Amino acid sequence: MMWVETIINGVLYGGLYGLLGVGLALIVGVMRVVNLSHGEFIVLSAFIGVSLVGALPWVHPLVLLLPVALIAFVLGFGLQAVLVNRVVTRPDPFAAILLTFGVAVVMRNLMVEIFGADPRNLPAGRLAHASAGMFGLHVGVLPLLILGLSVALFTCLQLIITRTKFGRIVRATADHRDIVRLMGVNPGRVYNVVMGLSLALASVAGMLLAIRSSFTPYSGVERLLVAFEVVVLGGLGTFWGAMLGGITLGVAELVGLKFDTNAGPLYAHLLFLAGVLLRPNGLFRVRT
Amino acid sequence: MTLLEVRALDAFYGDFQALFGLSLDVEAGETVALIGANGAGKTTFLRCLVGLTSTKRGEIRFAGEPIAEQPAERISRLGLSLVPEGRLLFPSLTVEENLMMGALNQRPGSWTLARVYELFPILRERRRQKPEQLSGGQQHMVAIGRALMSNPKLLLCDEISLGLAPVVVDQIYESLGRIRAEGASIVLVEQDVKRAAGAADRVYCLLKGRVTLQGPARGMGLDQLSRAYFGA
Repeated sequence: MMWVETIINGVLYGGLYGLLGVGLALIVGVMRVVNLSHGEFIVLSAFIGVSLVGALPWVHPLVLLLPVALIAFVLGFGLQAVLVNRVVTRPDPFAAILLTFGVAVVMRNLMVEIFGADPRNLPAGRLAHASAGMFGLHVGVLPLLILGLSVALFTCLQLIITRTKFGRIVRATADHRDIVRLMGVNPGRVYNVVMGLSLALASVAGMLLAIRSSFTPYSGVERLLVAFEVVVLGGLGTFWGAMLGGITLGVAELVGLKFDTNAGPLYAHLLFLAGVLLRPNGLFRVRT
Repeated sequence: MTLLEVRALDAFYGDFQALFGLSLDVEAGETVALIGANGAGKTTFLRCLVGLTSTKRGEIRFAGEPIAEQPAERISRLGLSLVPEGRLLFPSLTVEENLMMGALNQRPGSWTLARVYELFPILRERRRQKPEQLSGGQQHMVAIGRALMSNPKLLLCDEISLGLAPVVVDQIYESLGRIRAEGASIVLVEQDVKRAAGAADRVYCLLKGRVTLQGPARGMGLDQLSRAYFGA
């Protein structure tokens, strides 16, 4: 029974990992660049969340997800409009990698300067420890909520991309960014919104993760690593692949934690390595 | 009225110069064929017109407005539409979604989804499929339809017969006649000299980035054309 609970909790936790990765998957899929400051924005969102919780103690942290996501959207939009659009059309992918790496370093140091280097976490009150009994199993209420929210956000993203006019423009821009210009579309503006969406999703994941475990201004690298593994494991640029990749990593981490209380994440990384060796195109890749 | 006026156009790819002082006119309602061998600069010329080649100098006026310095997304709104070489459809979009991309800049005119399906009935049957599931000829039809959806004043067609069976090429050229009847001017880029000269009012022949021959399509001798084409 303990094992079933562990696996269920791994799945619930993995939904969050999926959410960490899907924003990155969106960027990779649409712009073919990697945002190395993805992790720092996740951490920054958590700091903004903590500050908001401090300023508005009577508002439940989960309600504050919305304003934090909005702030993250604006930050992403600005990051893309001011910086990344300058390099994104260059044939050399290193330009974007170096630029976002620089942004990450600057942000990390600014966060130390502003928020200090102490570990923080986001208090969620009773919700953090509540658990629900189902069929004799104990499952945390918060992880359940988190998975529900993740699935809802994934579904929304999927619907936006496949069903709306905006989604059509995003897919077309991902296919041929020169040709959409002949239809009056400015690819840079599309990228701005996509980066905003990417960081809004990441900010939700960042806040939820901050409820579960503490973070410092230096946590961005770990977050980015997880996001990377999720994206690669799921198959570059696919959304549901990212979700399933996240769940796989979540289960591996919690099962690993049962074996070895010191090194849960190690097992997730080992699984990632095995996955990359065995299925280099991603575990869940459907399209070639 | 002169719809398109190009004067002394030079274009470059890095250090390589692709066009040398090219001048060309297209009158309203006219079909102009642009012929020339591989590497003559035909595609580069079209990319200059729509704003995709940025390293150029010279003057381009479209419907009286200078467009040489304008970005592609602005130019498209003026009514200049390209059917690109190799079609370049959006593989992630269905046929219908591809066509609807053409309507994004919302230019008024007679071309609608229904009218494009009337022109190419097969596309209505295939509208929910992805371009890769279509034959080469049908993909050309999607590319032409996508360009028409913006109701262009001038339609630029880059190698629309390339790699197609002669029967299909006949169909495509027949559709061009109906597009002209709606009032659009057309620039046809072709390697098939006879085909292009047959469909056009006037012909320009390009050789290594320069115009080597121009004149009315009717009465242009084949030997005269082939000399301009090969530079012999």
